[in-house]
Amino acid sequence: KGNKKKKKTEELKKELDLDDHRLSTSELEKKYGTSINKGLSSARAAEILARDGPNSLTPPKATPEIVKFLKQMVGGFSILLWIGAVFSWISFGIQLAQGAESPFDNLYLGVVLALVVILTGIFAYYQEAKSTNIMASFSKMIPQQALVIRDAEKKELPADQLVVGDIVEIKGGDRIPADIRLISAQGCKVDNSSLTGESEPQSRSCDFTHENPLETKNIAFYSTTCVEGTATGIVINTGDRTIIGRIASLASGVGNEKTPIAIEIEHFVYMVAGVAISIGVLFFIISVSMRYKILDSIIFLIGIIVANVPEGLLATVTVSLSLTAKRMAKKNCLVKNLEAVETLGSTSIICSDKTGTLTQNRMTVAHLWFDNQIYSADTSEDQTTQPFDQSSPSWAALSKIVTLCNRAEFRPGQENLPIMKRVVVGDASETALLKFSEVILGDVMNIRAQNKKVAEIPFNSTNKFQLSIHETDDPNDKRFLLVMKGAPERILERCSTIMINGKEEPLDSEKAEAFQTAYMELGGMGERVLGFCHLYLPENEFPDTYQFDTDTMNFPTSNLCFVGLLSMIDPPRSTVPDAVSKCRSAGIKVIMVTGDHPITAKAIAKSVGIISATSETVEDIAKRLNIPVEQVNRREATAAVVNGMELKDMNSEQLDEILCNHSEIVFARTSPQQKLIIVEGCQRQGAVVAVTGDGVNDSPALKKADIGIAMGIAGSDAAKNAADMVLLDDNFASIVTGVEEGRLIFDNLKKTIAYTLTKNIAELCPFLIYIIASIPMPIGTITILFIDLGTDIIPSVALAYEKAESDIMNRRPRNKRRDRLVNHQLAVYSYLQIGIMQSVGAFVTYFTVYAEQGFLPSTLLGVRVNWESNAINDFEDSYGQQWTKYQRTYLQWTGYTAFFVSITIQQVADLIIRKTRRNSIFRQGLFKNKVIWVGIFSQIGIALILTYGLGHVTALNFTPLRFQYWFVAVPFAILIWVYDEFRKLLIRRYPGSWWDKNMYY
Amino acid sequence: MATLNEKKTCSERMENFRLFVWNPETKLCMGRSLINWVWIILYYLAFYVVMSGLFALCIYTLMTTINPYEPDYQDQLKSPGVTLRPDVYGSRGLQIYYNVSDNRTWEGLVTALHTFLTEYTPAAQHLNINCTNNTYFIQDTFDGPNKTKLSCKFTSDMLQNCSGITDPTFGFPEGKPCFIVKMNRIVKFFPGNGTAPRVNCTYVDKESYPLEVDYYPRNGTFNLHYFPYYGKKAQPSYSNPLVAVKFLNITRNVELKIVCRIIGAGITFDNVHDPYEGKVEFKLKIED
Repeated sequence: KGNKKKKKTEELKKELDLDDHRLSTSELEKKYGTSINKGLSSARAAEILARDGPNSLTPPKATPEIVKFLKQMVGGFSILLWIGAVFSWISFGIQLAQGAESPFDNLYLGVVLALVVILTGIFAYYQEAKSTNIMASFSKMIPQQALVIRDAEKKELPADQLVVGDIVEIKGGDRIPADIRLISAQGCKVDNSSLTGESEPQSRSCDFTHENPLETKNIAFYSTTCVEGTATGIVINTGDRTIIGRIASLASGVGNEKTPIAIEIEHFVYMVAGVAISIGVLFFIISVSMRYKILDSIIFLIGIIVANVPEGLLATVTVSLSLTAKRMAKKNCLVKNLEAVETLGSTSIICSDKTGTLTQNRMTVAHLWFDNQIYSADTSEDQTTQPFDQSSPSWAALSKIVTLCNRAEFRPGQENLPIMKRVVVGDASETALLKFSEVILGDVMNIRAQNKKVAEIPFNSTNKFQLSIHETDDPNDKRFLLVMKGAPERILERCSTIMINGKEEPLDSEKAEAFQTAYMELGGMGERVLGFCHLYLPENEFPDTYQFDTDTMNFPTSNLCFVGLLSMIDPPRSTVPDAVSKCRSAGIKVIMVTGDHPITAKAIAKSVGIISATSETVEDIAKRLNIPVEQVNRREATAAVVNGMELKDMNSEQLDEILCNHSEIVFARTSPQQKLIIVEGCQRQGAVVAVTGDGVNDSPALKKADIGIAMGIAGSDAAKNAADMVLLDDNFASIVTGVEEGRLIFDNLKKTIAYTLTKNIAELCPFLIYIIASIPMPIGTITILFIDLGTDIIPSVALAYEKAESDIMNRRPRNKRRDRLVNHQLAVYSYLQIGIMQSVGAFVTYFTVYAEQGFLPSTLLGVRVNWESNAINDFEDSYGQQWTKYQRTYLQWTGYTAFFVSITIQQVADLIIRKTRRNSIFRQGLFKNKVIWVGIFSQIGIALILTYGLGHVTALNFTPLRFQYWFVAVPFAILIWVYDEFRKLLIRRYPGSWWDKNMYY
Repeated sequence: MATLNEKKTCSERMENFRLFVWNPETKLCMGRSLINWVWIILYYLAFYVVMSGLFALCIYTLMTTINPYEPDYQDQLKSPGVTLRPDVYGSRGLQIYYNVSDNRTWEGLVTALHTFLTEYTPAAQHLNINCTNNTYFIQDTFDGPNKTKLSCKFTSDMLQNCSGITDPTFGFPEGKPCFIVKMNRIVKFFPGNGTAPRVNCTYVDKESYPLEVDYYPRNGTFNLHYFPYYGKKAQPSYSNPLVAVKFLNITRNVELKIVCRIIGAGITFDNVHDPYEGKVEFKLKIED
């Protein structure tokens, strides 16, 4: 069955197999039994609808809520506690049948245990229910209505009624209702960003332009948007058979991997459960062989289980994670799946998109070339001036062309916004030029008004230039100014002169050479280059009454004067280079995966540091050594730029080799599905992979990744749903802050767990000593629950607020096999050292209380049977006084309370020492984390309430305690602190030593 | 993650475990080299020796602060508990059932009383002095031998008809059984505030006729000269004063609930949680 599923996934991963784009209209009509003019008949449509089903995506089978809920009820420690509860009820039943005097204690204990399980289960279930269902947004994306031709009539139909063969009409603003083969189109452009991630609208026509159905122009895809124009097409795929449907089922088919922290917690649960069960069973055997009654032994077993299981811990972990999630949300990382918080911290590879994540997602002028010189422009997000030399008269001419030969305009009413933030009507490069000139020259619209436009030829793909003719703003100059911009080589062809320092000079071969060099250099930087030229039309030939006709072109378009080049790029965000270098020092490999051109991708990768300045690709080495690419030793190249076409032909070994051998990798021109292949390749290396994405096409990769990161602004809903995390500002740098938080929470969870585990020993020892030495019971099961779920909860959450001890961004990501959350050092140090100290402290308090009330330690040994006997009401103490059963029981409860108070007091010390694992507490600052103090006060406050407030409620087994007993364990608390400082001191002093290896957790 | 979740076969697991226990290649035993094990064991040995020493020191210090004569606090011993002899406990407290005509049913009870009273023979009491004052026997100094305080004699003959001397069967065969009521010792407890506390036995439920009881010593009082008790170290030979009660009109074949309270200032018997504080309740059924 698993194989079948795998096969299905493999099939889906293959590129799309579709041939409708190759067929002619008549062939299509024949294939789908339809007519372009009349459409399908209603009857036929109904037939097909019955065959194919409605045109909607089938939601995946969801796990029933009740199953999810029950899973929470038996997961983790719950099963152990259930066993405890069942044992309690069994012993209650036996005692009730035997007619014992107080069997209800066990009933209550069972109920309390069950309640603990149910409450923590509900809590966990609630947390999980918050995670949203991926398919929800797919269904939201389905268009509501579609204009269909049926029975030779145009009809509005609900889109889910569409069938294959229907003729639909779409217009600008519509969502495409199904996969459509276009049969006629007028200026139609579609936004495929939800599918391919490319944000630029793509024109659609009825021509077959590419073998690949995803690239050909005559197919429009379900769920994408028609931006402008109109089109008519035949529906070729509906519902789940559409491209988006396949991707959706791919996304739900790709299993959600267990997060690293989930694995760690599972490991921890197994460990603690193992300890609990083995100690429990061991002492069950011991107590049976010591001739305790089976029933008593079972009750001991329950006690041991309860003492061993940190009941509150899983809830604490959840709360700590959600606190971190909140903190990350403040830093623009919205975490959907709580456990992903930590995953981000253990990330070792980030596969990042380029557009929008690494870059600003807008074209910006990056370089200029005039007067035979290249100038760099400021490309930062909030530029207000441009620093390059603007004194040359050539610049004045160039700026005029840039300003005038431009159809883009600001939307009105944005005068108060910074220029870079204003909304522009026009395409990307015109927008860039408009903003550029607005920054330098000021009010562009005014300049344009002063230089009235008299004629214009907009840009088109055949002539590849844009031209306009203006009156000049100099009232004495009656000449017209012809300005032109376009592809540099085309512009140069039309020029006979070139402007150098404001003077027109003949364009000789030397100057043409200079132009070529500059053009190549700018192009080599991955920038889009435009050439600019102008011509003042002679006044005698073109008087101010001259009628320009753009169709006949009754004006010169050659022998113009070349002025300069401007090159544009979507520049990197200014915070990104820093973030990339942070990743690098944190041992995280950043891989760029983009649909863009390799040259552009490489240029951006270089400028943000994904490819560092010194490293070379195989091609670079080949170029430098002047040898063919094949002869280059591939090992020498640290960087690699891999084209999607190459990737397509690679098998997984080859991909692995690339991922292994190169530290700096850029994947360019990658298709939607390839991202998934790359992610899987990285995961084969054992890496924890974070993937960013925004389009619908990214959702399988986002799901497959250990942590999927969707873009909040540019991202589609599907991507956001598939992701574990949403970047609200689309900024790569936010990921890095997320990584930092993730690493911090891992460290802090370690501290929380160490803190929580420690007192388990102090809770467990009483049982063991009770069984072996037969002393009166030092602490009750209910009391233990009050520690685990009462006093200890807030302090353990408070550790989540602890600041990092050192620069956590300067160490490598944790190895998910070796660096466990709960390693043996942590367990051993907590259990066998600090835990033992706590137990000793608590026992001293216990013996003190009993001694001062009349039972000296020596009299306590071996008294269990008589002590607990209901038939002895004149039990003698060390002073010859005689005690009734109830008086003894009450003393026993006082003992519980004293033991409880001692553990609480020593847990305060434990909390303080857990603030750091290596550094001295004094270096970390005792008062920096205020929440710790809230924790300490809450701990003591709850203990005070329990002892003095609820001390008279018999069922809780607390009694008011003499004040001085609160201080008996204080020396031990201090000892714990001093001992741990000593431990940390030796760890710092002798790194790598035996001590460091055994004592550092 | 896939690599971590690989399902291992049982034999692989066993092999891994064997390698974990002893890896001949790396010479690691349970993940440590042998010398490392020695070190870690030595460390823990030292650690636990120190911890035990610390514990011993704490207990020693505790013992030096403890007064050997009287406890520091008597928080739970505000009012003495009361016990009954013979004491036969059923699942719901004291239950004394016997059959007059079947001596096997009451012989055990009689033996229990005799055993209990062996501590009250003149021989057992020979260290104690005869007291005649009907006031508290307050001793501020150690007047007894070996730095002890004196205790007053209580001999079983003071229980007269219930002493087991005149009637070795304690009236059990006649259906008029004797029971001995004992008040628990509490160090430096002054019961009754100057008047001797006395035992008063009644039916718990209202019966149609009152319970007829003979109390020994007379009036069922605990003489004040047995109080206060100065503790085991000061009064090693001290024995509790007793009151015997003889029920005279027990209806046969009926389970009766009887309560014997100790009446006296400072003795409370209304603690709902403690059925033996200041009183003793029991069920009595005499069959024939």
